[in-house]
Order: sequence, then C-alpha cells, then structure tokens
Amino acid sequence: MTKKNSLLSRLYIVLCFVFLYLPILVTTVFSFNSSKSLTRFTGFSLRWYAKLLRDESIISAVYVSLSIAIIATFVATVFGTITAIGISRNRKLIKNVVLNINNIPIVSPDIVLAIGLMILFTSLHFPRGYMTMLISHIVFCMPFVITSVYPKVRSLPPNLADAAMDLGATPLQTLLKVVVPMLKPGIFAGILLSFTISLDDFVVSFFVTGNGVSNISIVVYNMTKRMNPVINALSAVLIAVSVLIMVGTMLIPKMVKKRRAHRTLPTARSVAIRKWSARFVVFIGIALIAVFSVKGWSAQNKKTLRVFNGGEYVDMELIKRFEEENDCKVLYETFDSNESMYTKIKSGSEYDIIITSDYMIERLKREKYLSKLDTSQITRRDKVIPSLLKKNFDPKGEYSIPYYWGSVGILYDKTKVDTKDLKEGWNLLANPKYSGKLYMYDSSRDTFMIALKVLGYSMNTDNKKEINQAYEWLAKQGKVMNPVYVGDDVMDNMISSNKALAVVYSGDASYIIDENSDMDFFIPEQGSNVWTDSMVMTKFCENKKLAHKYMDFFLDHKVAVKNTKYIGYDSGVKSVYNYFKKEYYKGNSGCGPDISNPLNEEFTDQKNEIKKYMDELWTKIKTKR
Amino acid sequence: MIWSMILIILPLVMIALYSVVTKDDSLLSFNFTLDNFIKIGDPVYVKVIVKSLAVGALVTLICLVISYPLALFITRTSEKTGSILILFLTIPMLINTLLRTYAWISLLSEHGIINAALRSVGIARQNMIYNNFSVMIGLVCDLLPFMVIPIHTAMAKMDTNLIDAAYDLGANKLQVITRVIFKMSLPGVISGCISVFIFSISEFVVPELLGGHQFVLIGNLIENQFISIGDWNFGSALGILLVVLIIALAIALRKTDRGDNND
Repeated sequence: MTKKNSLLSRLYIVLCFVFLYLPILVTTVFSFNSSKSLTRFTGFSLRWYAKLLRDESIISAVYVSLSIAIIATFVATVFGTITAIGISRNRKLIKNVVLNINNIPIVSPDIVLAIGLMILFTSLHFPRGYMTMLISHIVFCMPFVITSVYPKVRSLPPNLADAAMDLGATPLQTLLKVVVPMLKPGIFAGILLSFTISLDDFVVSFFVTGNGVSNISIVVYNMTKRMNPVINALSAVLIAVSVLIMVGTMLIPKMVKKRRAHRTLPTARSVAIRKWSARFVVFIGIALIAVFSVKGWSAQNKKTLRVFNGGEYVDMELIKRFEEENDCKVLYETFDSNESMYTKIKSGSEYDIIITSDYMIERLKREKYLSKLDTSQITRRDKVIPSLLKKNFDPKGEYSIPYYWGSVGILYDKTKVDTKDLKEGWNLLANPKYSGKLYMYDSSRDTFMIALKVLGYSMNTDNKKEINQAYEWLAKQGKVMNPVYVGDDVMDNMISSNKALAVVYSGDASYIIDENSDMDFFIPEQGSNVWTDSMVMTKFCENKKLAHKYMDFFLDHKVAVKNTKYIGYDSGVKSVYNYFKKEYYKGNSGCGPDISNPLNEEFTDQKNEIKKYMDELWTKIKTKR
Repeated sequence: MIWSMILIILPLVMIALYSVVTKDDSLLSFNFTLDNFIKIGDPVYVKVIVKSLAVGALVTLICLVISYPLALFITRTSEKTGSILILFLTIPMLINTLLRTYAWISLLSEHGIINAALRSVGIARQNMIYNNFSVMIGLVCDLLPFMVIPIHTAMAKMDTNLIDAAYDLGANKLQVITRVIFKMSLPGVISGCISVFIFSISEFVVPELLGGHQFVLIGNLIENQFISIGDWNFGSALGILLVVLIIALAIALRKTDRGDNND
C-alpha cells in the first residue's frame, strides 16, 4: 500500500488550506494597512495596533472573553469530570437518561439554548451581565467535557478504584492519584474544546448579556456600522496567540515524553515536582477566580453609571474623559436597534441612561420607565437648538436632552445616476433602470415610511388598508428592483461604491459623502421621517447627579464637536450644528438637511397590534425572493 | 451533577412552555394555545423553514465533497505531517467567526479584493456577494473543519491491512474506496454531517452579513422574534420546531448507520 500522495492530491490539500486561511490572511494583511480601506492596501503601518491598545471597549471585551473562557473551562472541566465519573457508577437507566440529557445541548443549535437561557434568566429576574454570561458558558461547555471524558471513564478497569482503596488510599487520593491521571487525555480534549467554544461564542453571549458586559464577538457585531481596521489588528494578535497556544500544546507533551524516556525510575525529586505542579495548577485556577471576582467587586465600589446607546454612537475617548473627570465608571453597552433595546429592557436589564429615538421615548414614558430630569442641573441646556426641546414625544422637554437629529433620504452615486431622475423622489427606488443597483434599509418602519409617503399617506397611519397598499408597493418594488436589504453595513458598501442607490439616514450620508465624493444625498419632496435621538434617564437610576452630569457633559461645545466628528450626525447643540454646517462639512448635502417640508413627520409610537402586523408584512417582503 | 442537568433541562422546559401560551404581560396567567404552532404553517414561514433545510443540506453536501478527499489525503501523509495539518485545521476554529465573515465581505464585494484581482487580469467584474454563493462560501469556510476532523479520526483508526487484504482479494481501486474505505469511515462521516447540518441550519449571522437581510433562515427568524419583534412565544415555537427537526434527523442517520452495519 502506497503511503505517498500524488502531486494532484497535495495540490488539493494546499487549495483547501488556502480557502480556509484566505479570510484570516486578509484580516492579518489589512491590519498593517496605512489607510482605513479594507479592500485596497496603501502601505505598511502599525497605527491600528497603537489604536488597539488605546481602545477601552475592545480591551475590556478581550478581558471578558478570556476570563469567561478560562473560568468556564475550569468549572466545566472539574464538574464535568466529576459528573462523568459519577454517571458510570450509576444504574444503567439513570446513566442513559443523564447521557441523553447531556447530549441535548450538543445536538441542539446554540440559538435554542440561547433563547432558553434568556427566558430563564428573565423569568427569575436574574440581573444580566457577567454572571449570566459565565453561567451560560459553563452550561454549554460542560456537556462537551462530559462527552470527552466519559468514554475514558468507561475504559477504566472496573476494579481500579477498589484496588487503590484496598491498598490503603483514601477516596480523595484514589480520585486524584489513580482515576484522574488515567483520564488525562479525555480531560485535556474537554478543556481544549470548552475553551475554543467559549472564546468563539457569539449567539449565547449575545442573548444573555447585559449591563455593559460584551465579549469580543458582541463588540465585532456592533461594529458593523463602521468596520474599523482596529478589529483586524485584534484578530491578528488573536491568531498569533492561538497559533502559539496550539503549537505549545502539541510540543509540551512531546518534550515531557522525551524527558520521561531518559529516566527509568521516578526519583523522589520528580515525584515532588509532579506533586507541586499539580498543586500549582489548582492554585492558579483558584487565584484567577479570586482575582476576577475581586476586580468585579472593586469596580462596583466606584460610582457607576450604566449607559445604553446605539452601536458606534459615541466617541469612546469621551467616555474615558468623563470617567476621569468625575472619578466614576461608565458601564457602556450598545444595541443595534431601538426595538432590540426595548426587548432588553423588557427582559429585565437595568440602565441609568438610554439614548434612543422619539417614538421609543414616547413608549418608555408611557410605560413609566423614565424619570423626570432636574433641568437646573443641566447648565448647558440653553445651548440646545430650541425646537428640539419642544418635540411631540416630550413637549416640555422634561424627560429628554437631545443628542443627534436628522432625516432619511436617498444617497446616490453621481457617476451612475442621472440627475434628471432625482425628481421622481422615492419612486426612484422603483425605477427599473437601477434594478439590482440599490440597498434598502432593513427596518420595517423606515421602509414602510417610504411606501406610505409614495402613496401620499401619513407614515404613522394605523389604517390597515393603507398599510396593505404600502405592502403591495414594496412587494412589487422588491420583485422589480431586486434590492439588497442591509443594516448598517450599507455605509462601508457605499463608501466603496458597491451600488448606485441606497436609503440612508442623513447623518450617515454626511459621513459617506465625506469619505467618497462621488456620492450625493437628497430628501424626496414627498416627505420623510424627521427623527431626534435623545438622552433619557430611567427610573432605575440611583446616582441621578452623575446622570445629569453625563447629559450636561455631552452638551459642551468641545465635547460635542469631537463626538460629532466621530459620528457624523447633526448635533443637537446649536453652536456645534452651525460649525459643521458652515465649516467642517461645508457643502455636504447630508449635513443639516432642510426639514421644513410640511409633508415631513416624526414617528409616533405604534399600537402593538399595528406594529406586529407591519413586522409580519416586512418579514414577508424580505423572504419573498 | 443534578444541578447541571437542571440548568440544561430548565431552559428547554421554559421554551416549551413559552411556545404554548399566549402573550400576556403578567407571567402568572398561562393561556394555553397552539396558535404559535399554527402560525408556523403560514406559507411565509414554511418557505423560510424549507430554505433553511435546503441551505443546511447543501452546505453539508459541499463540506462532505470537499472534506472527504482532504481527510483521505491527510490520512495518507506521514503521522507527523498529518498531525500538523490537523493542527492547522483547528486554528481557524479559534479565530472569531464574525471576524472571518467580515473578511469574506471585503473579499467578495463589488469593489472587493477578488474583483480587483480579476479586473487586473482583464476579467469582468463578478457579482459575488449578497446571493446564495456568498452565503455558501461563508458557511462552508466556517464549518469545513467540523467535517474533516471526525472523518479523519475515523480513517486514522482504520486498519490499513484491511485495504491491502481487499487488494489481495482482487478488488480494484474504486471498489476499495467505496466498499472498504468509505464504509469504515462512515461513523466519522455521519457525525461530521450531523454537526455541520446543525450549525448551518441555525446560523443567523453569516447569512445576514453575506446574504443581505433578505436571506432569512430559521435562525434569523428566531433572532428577530426575540430581539426586535418581541414575540417570544412564536420564537419559542420556532425553537422547538428546530430541535425536533434536528433530533429526528439525528435519529434517522444513526438508524441508517446501524442498518448498514447489520448487513
């Protein structure tokens, strides 16, 4: 039998590995890119690595991911091994039942486990955060440990433990000195498996986390808006570390084996070394747990403020500055849509400050989640654009401080779209000329707004007939135009000119136009959505003084300028708005859009029944093709 | 031991409970209903479920077709190279899946790296993203190691004398591969298929990022119900359906495996 591979099969192996490593190679190469582009390499630089070291949210996510992976693996391994040994000593019936139950998390998709744990924690009113994430990770790691250890337990000679005890070993000695060493390969596989799964987990962590705790995956997921190469630098570092660990785990056992081969009898010294190294491992485990819990505890001792904001909706350096100025800790967490924010609150997460949109503030206010502001504590309130303090969702400006505002319109590529077609307004999105060349925004309300405006209805209608007509329009548009429905990834896509048209928020348009001058933006005459995002304080807020300070901080001219440079939206602070309109974004059509059109509206909170109806129709539209 | 079992069972019990009650603000009133399951019968959702199953099956098939020769070739290399190759197969599993998916976006997009490369050699721009192709690429790249490793493990355990024996008994190369090698590696194939299928059927991030938001699979549907729409009851019903589908499949596959061995 030939053991050699032909040239062709070697080529095949190489090709497979190229395919597997292509994405990893791309992230690594582009982590050294001197520009922001993720598709064009412009020169070598280490700037993203320098930025990585200063990015607090990523560093803390790495800390969360690693510490949870270590603790969860440790706990899951200890308890999993004990369980595996325990199972084997039970009667057959119990054994089978336990093993089958154990298989459930392994064969069931992680999303099922995720929603189950989410429901469980919610109904127990368990505060969500580090602990819930840790418990969940232990839960899904343990079955993997049990499945890797159990076969080894079964292959042990049945009388081994009895023999050890007959020879005078105590039960504990039997376990640690006889049984566990025999199970080593299984335990080792379990550790490796748990650690890998825990470190890479997104789904379960995403569903069970809260109170500002994010792991690497969650941070990356919320970064869709502006993919920044810092994350490539992080990935390159992680790759280097994992390669080292894997190579290490491969080489160390070999080296140990070699050394063992040299000696024939265990000397007293080697026994002592082994004993101490075992103790050392246990000690490290305990120490790690202690350090982590002390760190968590000491963070609680400082004044804290829990802030819940949209993804990429603040310059993190400002949060750091606020923490330093006020000697406090901001637990900053992000959400990807107003609706997901609402679900999170409904499921028992508590925050002090939330930054959200008009209609959602109306709902939170109605459901008594908010607490009134003490406007005297917000000294810079008079710097706000006056009209923003008199919006329908908060006519007297008692509950909210405006953060950013804007509208929705169409972003188009000047080199691909005929300017004569622009007078079609929203109907441009249904012009077959541009079929297959547009992005729609995946938000049921914003998209229905477009159709309702085309038909000349109010975007706040609760008339099902009108909504049905809008549905027909969107379904037909979907069929004819073949649009791609996207989330915030629309920004990176338009910056790289991937399509000719896109529905975007005005603030996102300013940012895109600033990066790609081929783009321009307009708001159709048929009217559009004019929105305001504001900061509100919840009823759970304990340190109200600090919360007021936070709001006041973001009204400061210099702070707001820095924040706006990062975000690109229209600031609620008058002087900042003027600066961007007249200087920084001069001539940029996305900045400070004209919203005087009487057909423009603000979203009002929908009745649950209408919301559900619209959401279902939206699912239908998306799945039509 | 018992508490760990509780933590595993309790979430499932809660999902089952949620799937058969109506939405109500108070947690204590349970109005039993099957509406959530009836709702799954709506053509829209049936379509999503069928699509998920099709995607799962296709990804599993592609992974199998790519992995089988790969595993075979790896087994044929020397032990040392083999273990190094397997090691390099596991490294991508340690790198965050989301990061790898983002890399595919910059590779495949209209003005992406691959298109730039194609253009420089004079080939017209290809439309490679936000369609079935990109989702398949992303999922296959993500899940390939989960197929290769179990197949390789099964093959490595195989007694090579059996192959020699088959040749000695006059079997040709094709017969050896189909009758001996494939049969011996079947347990690995089945466990690989099950894990790839489970992962691909319930994935929601990769389809969303590489297929656009119109690429709705059952995982996306569940995520939507829980995160943005807030209908946990319907979401739970979908979750239960997913578990039932997978368990049914696993049992069916195990049965065929056993049936084969009894021949």
